[in-house]
This record gives sequence, structure tokens and C-alpha cells, in this order.
Amino acid sequence: MLLLAGILFADGGTLQFQKRAGPLDISLFSSPVPLRAGHADFSVMVQRAADRSPVQDASVNLHLKKSDPENVVEIVVPATHAKATNKLLYASNVSLPSAGTWRTDIEVKTDGTTTSVSGQLTVLPPQAPAENYWGYFALVPFVILLFVFNRWLKRRQRFTYPRARP
Amino acid sequence: MQSSASAALLSWTIDARGIALLLLVAFLYVRGWMRIRRLLRHTGDFDRLFAFLGGLAVLFLATESPLATFDSFFLSAHMAQHLLLMMVAPPLILWSDPVLPFLRGLPRSFVKEGLAPFLNWMPMRRIGRFATSPIPAWCMFAFSTIFWHLPKFYELALHSGFWHGAQHASFFWTGILFWWPVIQPGPGKLTWPRWMPIPYLLSADILNTALSAFFVFSGRLLYPTYEAVRASSLGAQDDQTLAGLIMWVPGSLIYLIPTFTFAMRIFSAPTVTAAPVRVPRRPRARPPSIRFLPRVRRVAQAVMLLIAIAVMMDGFFGPQVAPLNLAGVLPWIHWRAFSILALLVVGNLFCMACPFMLVRDVGRKLLPAKLRWPRPLRAKWLASGLIALYLWAYEAFALWNSPWLTAWIIAGYFLAAVLVDGLFRGATFCKYICPIGQFHFVSSLISPREVGVRKPAICRSCGTYDCIRGNERVRGCELYLFQPKKAGNLDCTFCLDCVSACPHDNVSLISIVPAQALIGDPYRSSIGRLSKRTDIVALALLIVFGAFVNAAGMVSPVLGWEHAFWGNMALFVVAGAIVCPALTVLLSAALNKFSSATLNVRDFARRSALALVPIGVAMWAAHLLYHLATSFDTAWPAAQRAATGSITSMSMMSSPVWLTPAQILLLDAGLLLTLYVVWRVARQYSGKIATAAALVAPWAVLSGALYATGIWILFQPMQMRGMLH
Repeated sequence: MLLLAGILFADGGTLQFQKRAGPLDISLFSSPVPLRAGHADFSVMVQRAADRSPVQDASVNLHLKKSDPENVVEIVVPATHAKATNKLLYASNVSLPSAGTWRTDIEVKTDGTTTSVSGQLTVLPPQAPAENYWGYFALVPFVILLFVFNRWLKRRQRFTYPRARP
Repeated sequence: MQSSASAALLSWTIDARGIALLLLVAFLYVRGWMRIRRLLRHTGDFDRLFAFLGGLAVLFLATESPLATFDSFFLSAHMAQHLLLMMVAPPLILWSDPVLPFLRGLPRSFVKEGLAPFLNWMPMRRIGRFATSPIPAWCMFAFSTIFWHLPKFYELALHSGFWHGAQHASFFWTGILFWWPVIQPGPGKLTWPRWMPIPYLLSADILNTALSAFFVFSGRLLYPTYEAVRASSLGAQDDQTLAGLIMWVPGSLIYLIPTFTFAMRIFSAPTVTAAPVRVPRRPRARPPSIRFLPRVRRVAQAVMLLIAIAVMMDGFFGPQVAPLNLAGVLPWIHWRAFSILALLVVGNLFCMACPFMLVRDVGRKLLPAKLRWPRPLRAKWLASGLIALYLWAYEAFALWNSPWLTAWIIAGYFLAAVLVDGLFRGATFCKYICPIGQFHFVSSLISPREVGVRKPAICRSCGTYDCIRGNERVRGCELYLFQPKKAGNLDCTFCLDCVSACPHDNVSLISIVPAQALIGDPYRSSIGRLSKRTDIVALALLIVFGAFVNAAGMVSPVLGWEHAFWGNMALFVVAGAIVCPALTVLLSAALNKFSSATLNVRDFARRSALALVPIGVAMWAAHLLYHLATSFDTAWPAAQRAATGSITSMSMMSSPVWLTPAQILLLDAGLLLTLYVVWRVARQYSGKIATAAALVAPWAVLSGALYATGIWILFQPMQMRGMLH
């Protein structure tokens, strides 16, 4: 079994894990990077272990489960080519309700056989809007500063290059 | 099942923001190119246009095609993408001589007021000259190429979206700098020997060859990431070799072909460049679109009338489930959003296609239409009261959720339009009563187009005044707007009667700077000076604050407060849309009095209060865009049910990723425009910058508070409308 956990930026974002299950290599990518509670995209790449060629006709399901002492949250979603930008992958959009460690099972059905791999995802709390959209908020003071600078330049240039009097 | 190859070819990264940016850039270039062409009377010059559009197409391929999708899986795809960004798109764009067309494509006042001070700033010019001179340009290009191919930094770009973007941006912009001395687009020409491009390009090719040879012959995997995410039987090492070959062969050709061309030029006899062919200047025709608009208007009104009848019928007799009924979907989700987006992009298109006008015209034939509207009612107070009533009724009766009430409102509208305009002269209903019309009049103060005079000198010599009086063929302006004295879109229904009536073909849809009408205070035909019109200011404030009240009424915390504290909706609406603006405007005006003892506070306060229109319209747009984006496809099941009695699918709730950024950008633009208008108005009242800043301060705080309120509302959980709960 091949285990490669890193932070690799791909179609779906980060490579969360890559595991071998029988004749298949199954990789899970997720975005955003890092993974946070709220909307998340999961992409699954299914490859033949022998030559790493992608499997295109599989049926892929994602099972996400988080157990707390108080309650258990379980999400089951299909991953499809239609939802993927990279059509070699199977993707699904999921809304993760809370932060914490989520157990993930990927079930792949192909050629009449079902295989599955599992791993764990660390989900961070959602970002505050100010953190998430700071660039859009910073636009206002940035433009105001540019405007102030523009007025200063205009005033200065008026004295430097006075208009010719008729 | 599709093959891997065809699946890969279908993997386009369609990013709406990137495409919108490319389209905007293309629009500006083409606009400027057309203006220059008209000015210089050139017949040719298409090669530059095609070069620019080709450059943009290459950028599109590099950033949106499967190359972009697979750049994190295959080094060869990434290398091809970099080649396009550095060596194909920049020379094509520079070949098009882009500077002048861009400056001509942008609004003239923006170039003159906004850009010119920066472009004339000596340090900026020195930096520009330095960066586009051969040695620095070559060095930056070489540095960027080597730096980003070092494994540590390349891996960084693979692992981070931000650094990946930075890598691509630096490739593209250093590409622009590198090719600048070779192509030398205007303005200004570099003075370097004719043979200099040859060593310049050859030395870059040597660097390129060395780097690509390293990729091919190094024998070790430079970027291990590609081994981990290998998505095909092609090994990462082979992929690296392929990437090196792409860099080597096509990359070298891109350097060698221009080198060869320069060498040929040196060794061949100098050729005389033919002067561009000029054609005689033709009189500038009216833009073609305007000619058919008055005729299109009737068709648009008829279509809108049919839709309104369908909505009414469904509202009265259809199922009283809003998401399944046309009356629960079309007016509240689609029509409101499209009309405000049209206001921001073009102008008051809804009034132009108003369905009530056709029925009103029939009513005029049956009723006398001779009476004069009572003088005390010739103001916006009645319309303001109706808008306040609407804001209250919307919350109190959940109008958006009641097809039956919606149908009654539309029917009442038809009846009121027929009765008022059937009994009274002119477009009394539009001018003094219609709350929708008033909303559009005020909002269109920040539209980029208005019906206006093309050449004022022609109007000064005109003796017929057909634009207001009309003639035997077409009626004049029913809202008594005399074109030479008209400023801004206030009270203009875009009916285009004046366009058809003008015998000199001198009235047209003209481009204006958004919010320009709020900066000046000329005497306006049939309106007077805005600084003297308390009723218009009150109407504008109601619309501005109403935007926040209306949006706040659908977020969870406010709904909770409404039930806990306010008790009834009337109190909430009165407090938010009437008391709050009155108090804040009075407070701001009082603070202004302290800033300048000689200030005419009333006039200044009226004009500054009107300056809040952009932030208010931005809030309406952000709010209505939310409904449109999340519930756009609700129209189909409702229409299907109305037509066939059954539905095949129900729309699913979805919130696109671009929605929140777009909403914030709308509010950003609204706030900035408001601040700009207040500043310009304050400068008209005070020659001193310090005094003007003191005058602006309370209004800036008020508009900042509105902006913060708007942002807070956007981030609250909102009710989904047009959906089954």
C-alpha cells in the first residue's frame, strides 16, 4: 500500500492521501487549502496501479464521518466527472458542518468489484469573513490612498507645469 | 465512458473572473482602436487589432484551457503554459501598440483626472524607461525564468495558489518587459543600434537552451510532486524530458525567428514604408443602436405586458406556493435584479420597456386626459410615501411569498396608471406617483448613459423645440424635460420620444461618467436645482436606507430582533428607513455647521445626502444579485407548471463562489463613488482642503457606517427565496 501524504496542489486542491486498494491507486484531493468547515470540494483520482492510467468508468462514493461524544455526523455523497474541472477526476461539493477530525471512506465500484480506502481529514474552523475576503475590503483604503496621492500629484504638477496664459 | 484523452480535452478551467477581465481588456482596446482609426482616418491597421486579440486568446488558452487544469499533474503541460505566457502572448500584445488604444478606450475624464498625474510623474516615467530598456529588461526576464525553475520555488508555486499566481504574473510581465525593446511599441522609441536585438535575443536563447538541456539531460527528477500526482502512464522523468523539449524546440524558434528577421533587415536595402491610406472624414453618424430603439421599445413593452398578464393570471388563479408560481418568482427574483443591473450597466431600461405604458395609452383614448395635476402634489412626497408603504408591506405581508397579493399589486398598478394618465395631462403617473419609476429615476443617477444632447450648439440655433413640444409625427417629452437644460437621468423614462422628435438628429443616448449628475448642481429642466429640492433628497434617502432595511429584513438576527423588540414591522421600517436617515443627516449637517461658519448648510446637506445614492444602489444591487444568483433557475419550473400544469424538476439551492466577492465589490464601488461625490461637492463649497476634509468627515463616517452595515448583512444567514423550504 502506497501512502503519500503531502500538500500537493491539484485540481481539487491538496492531496490528502493516496492509497492502493487491490489493483487500484486511489487519491483524494480537497480544497480549500487548508480544509475548513463550510463548503469544500473533494476530488478523487482512481488509477490502475499497474500503469497509473486513470480509470474513467468507476462509480465513486464518499463517506465522511465525524464522531463526537455528543453526536455523530455522517455525510454520504457521490463523486462524479460532471462536477470536476479535471474530467479525469471524480468530484463532489460537500458542506462540512464542523471542524475536527473526519474519517473518510472512498468507495469505488469498477468492473463489478467494489474497493474502498479510508483516511482521516483534519478540518479547521471556518475563517472569519475579514480573513477570507481581506483583499476585497482592502480595496477601499487602497483606492482612497491612490486618490489622495493623485490629488497631491495633480496639485504639485500644477505648480511645476503651470498652464500657459493666453 | 469517454477516453482519458477526450476527458482531458474537456477539462477547461472556466473562471468567470478571468474571462470577465479578458473581455474588459478586449473591449477597452477595441474601443480605443476604433476611436484612433476614426480620428486618423486609417483604412487598414487590422493587423494590430488581430495581434492584440490573438494575444488575449493565447492568455485565455494558458489560463483556462486543459493546460491550466493539468499544470499541477504534468510538468510538460505547465511548461507549455509558461511558454505561452512568456514568449507568445507578450509579443503579440506589444505588436498591437496597446498603450494609445487603451488610453483612448478609457473614459476621457478618467484618463485626464485619474491616470494623467501618475503617468506624468517623473519617478514613474523614469521607472518605466528603466524597466523597458534592454539590459534591465533582459536581466529581469532571465532572473524570473531561473528563479521560478529552482526546485524550491517551483514546488512552492505548485503547493500554493497564491504563489502559483505570482509565478504566472511574473512570467507574463517580465515577458512584456523583455519583448518591449525588441518590438518597441509606442509612445517613444528606443535609440539602440539596429543590430542590438540580435545579441539580445540570442543570449536569451542561450539561457533557454541551457535550462531546457538541464531538464532533458540532468537524469534526476527535479520536481518530486509530479511523481506523487502522476495521472497517466507517462512517468514523471519522461514528462520532465518532454517539458525540456517543449522549452527547447518551440522556445528556441520563438527567439530565432525574430533574430533572423532582424538580420535580414540589416543586410537588405532599407524599404520605404507606405503611408497609411486615409479616407475623407465622414460626418459622424448617430450610433446605429439608437435608430431602432424607439421601435424596439414598443415591442419590449408588449412583451413585458404579456409577461405581466401571465404573472397576474398565475397569481390570481395558480397555486399559492411562491416558488411554483410566476407571481412568486418573476417579479421578486428576476425582474428586480435585472432592472437594477441594467441601471448600472446601461440606464433606465425598465421604464423604457414599462408594460403599464401600453395600457395607459389606451386609457388616454377613452378618458379626457385634460386635467392638470394639483400644484401641491407636484413633488416627490406622494411617491416617497408609496415607497415607504411598499417597504412596510413587503415585510408585513411577506409580499414575495404571496402570489395573490403580488397579482393584486400589479393589477392596482395598471388601474392607477390608466386612471391618472387618463385624467391628467402628460406623464403624471410616472413623474409624481409611480414608486418603481422614482426608484429607477434616483438609481439611474449613477448610470453610465443618459438621453442627452450631442452638440449643444445645434440646440442653441434650434427654433422648433420639438424635443419638448413634439410635432405632428411624434409627441415631445411628457415629463417636461427640455433637452438642452436636462442634466442626468432624473425624471427621464428613456421613452426616446425626444430622440424621434428632434429634427436635427441631435438627441441620443450618450455616455457619461457615473454619478456625474450628483457632482454638479446646474438648473435642470422641470426639476430645478437639486440643492433646493428637499422632496427629492427625502426620496433618495428613503431609497438608500430602504436598501439596508429591505436586505436586513431577510437575515436571521434581524428577524429575531423584529419579533423580540419591534413587535410590528411598521416600527422597524419607520425606524430604519425614515427616522434613522433623518437623524443621521441632521447630525451630519449640524457638524458641518461647526466646520464652516459661512456654509449654506441646507444646500450642502441636501447635495451630500444625495451623494449617498451610490452606496444605497450598491446595496440594492448586492441584495438582489444574491436572489438572482441563488434562485435564477426557479423561473423554469414555475413557467413549466404554469404552461403544462406539472413540473419535471425543482431548482436546488446553490450559492456560486463568485457571489460574495461580487457583492463586496459592488459595495466597495458604491462607497468609493459616494466618497468621491461628497469630496467633489465639498470642494465646490470650500477652496481650502482642510475645510473641505472637515465637511466631508461626517458624511464619510455615515457612508462608512452604511458600508459596514451592508457587509454585516451580507455575511448573515439569509432566507432563500423562490425555494421550497
